[in-house]
Amino acid sequence: MTLGRVTGLFLAAGVGLFAQSVAGWSHPHVWADMRSQLQVTDDGKIAGVRVEWTTDKAYAKDALDGLDTNGDGIYEPEELARLTEENLKALAGYNYFVVFRFNGEVQKNGVAKDGNQTYNAADGRLTLTFTVPLETPLDPKVGEVKLKVYDPEFFIDFEYLKEHPLLISKKLPEGCTAKLLPTPSDASVDQTRQMLFTKGKDWKPENNEDFGGMFAQATVVECAK
Amino acid sequence: MRVLFLKFTLLAILFCVAVPEFSYADTVATTDVTPFDKRRLLVRPRNTDGTIEVTPFFQDPVLWARDEQQNFYGAMSRAMKGIQGENRWAAAWTLMLLSFAYGVLHAAGPGHGKAVISAWLLATENQLRRGIVVALMSAVVQAMTAIVVVSALIFLVGSAGTATKDAAAFLESASYALIAAMGGYLLWTAFAGYRQRRALVPAQANSGAVRFEITHPLNAGHVHVHNHGADCECGHAHVPTARDVAGKWSWGKAFSLAFAVGIRPCTGALLVLVFANALGLYWAGIASTFAMAVGTFITVSCVAAVAVYSKQLAERLVARDTEWLGYLGTAMRLGGGLGIMLFGTILFLASLNGPTGGM
Repeated sequence: MTLGRVTGLFLAAGVGLFAQSVAGWSHPHVWADMRSQLQVTDDGKIAGVRVEWTTDKAYAKDALDGLDTNGDGIYEPEELARLTEENLKALAGYNYFVVFRFNGEVQKNGVAKDGNQTYNAADGRLTLTFTVPLETPLDPKVGEVKLKVYDPEFFIDFEYLKEHPLLISKKLPEGCTAKLLPTPSDASVDQTRQMLFTKGKDWKPENNEDFGGMFAQATVVECAK
Repeated sequence: MRVLFLKFTLLAILFCVAVPEFSYADTVATTDVTPFDKRRLLVRPRNTDGTIEVTPFFQDPVLWARDEQQNFYGAMSRAMKGIQGENRWAAAWTLMLLSFAYGVLHAAGPGHGKAVISAWLLATENQLRRGIVVALMSAVVQAMTAIVVVSALIFLVGSAGTATKDAAAFLESASYALIAAMGGYLLWTAFAGYRQRRALVPAQANSGAVRFEITHPLNAGHVHVHNHGADCECGHAHVPTARDVAGKWSWGKAFSLAFAVGIRPCTGALLVLVFANALGLYWAGIASTFAMAVGTFITVSCVAAVAVYSKQLAERLVARDTEWLGYLGTAMRLGGGLGIMLFGTILFLASLNGPTGGM
């Protein structure tokens, strides 16, 4: 080993530290563009949601490093299967970041299924798709169904795509609509913030909502009475 | 030639041992499929009680420290909430204990200037006592920074929420810039030392017995840079030896290093202080910040010990070879200086693009 190589070592170490500092220490750690597809049953109930998360390039780099086992430069479904499976397992501990409410009451999610992951080589991003079923399907004709997909700890910054952010797997019953409420505007975020300032230390948002949820975009399914 | 090769290899190994993060980056790529590398996941796997699953120490010590640290973080915020309740003293003690443990683990993870301190010590120091002093100083400076920042913000702005983040981001950039400057200084001493040694070669050859220990008493007022030549008449009784040409110990330099590393406040300390203030228990926050500093001090001292002992070992191995000892000193300064400068510069540039919030 020559002095040149020692210097090289330091150079590599410096770059490594840089990558580490950017990927590992920053907050939020992952950015995700998302799309949600409400799962509608034949009898017009909401049975869950199929989410599609396209994460940022930096995450894809961390996640894919060394996964191209056959070395052909393409990430085949088999090569990504383990990553998908392990991700879903880990996400279960976070309730998949999916919160359904029925008339304001938080509903229980089942175990995620039909996980799939694709890598788009053109933009270097991974797209994870999976379905989170509800333990009990909800009837929008009986009460208001509300869905929020967000990370209360803001480790992942979820944002809905501009194009077709909300889809439905089947037609909703007559008179029922599903709509994605607009992102809280800067003004309303400010308002919420001001409101929070006036509250005491013991104050908590209503309906067991956490603070992160107050800033998340909601999907509402409502039926004309 | 073979001896030279061996010596350089030894040098490289020493740097790797003393600066754990430097070799850490390489280990990521070669992970086997089983067990699955958690770094690939979107989120850290969690237990049912909300704590995250801790990676076994022997599987990956770095991940282990990180996982443990994250759990301590969670436990600390819970203890904070507990302080409000009935049993204030118990909660305050818990918080201090947790902060201490957090400090120990936190310093074992990335950040906390270990890389900088150990590289610096490798390049300049061979007395453990001084390495430990530098570790202590940087831990104390870091605690003080957090306390000063949060206190000043509370005093000036009235609340320390978002403004703390801005101040922390600024200090972080400043710290990296100073670290880069320290690296540059070290590089400069390497070149100065090289020139100096060349000038000294005839004198040493004639003197017969060359001694390698520092013959100076420690003197706080003695901070001038030694770049006098062989014909120097500045009141020194001894012949400057290869070692003490440029990187001599001084409180001023030690403090500069501690300051450069320490003015980047630790997020954990900021969090504790901001929370403590919000709960109206600022004293508990300050006590916990110092407990955290003691924790980081212990870990950084261990790293400093490795650095200093490696240096001593290297010097013993080449002790009989005067010329090589000179080369070793210069090489270590060059390597250490380059490393520190690069580290500081890269992190400085990265910090300008957005807060990295090193935890």
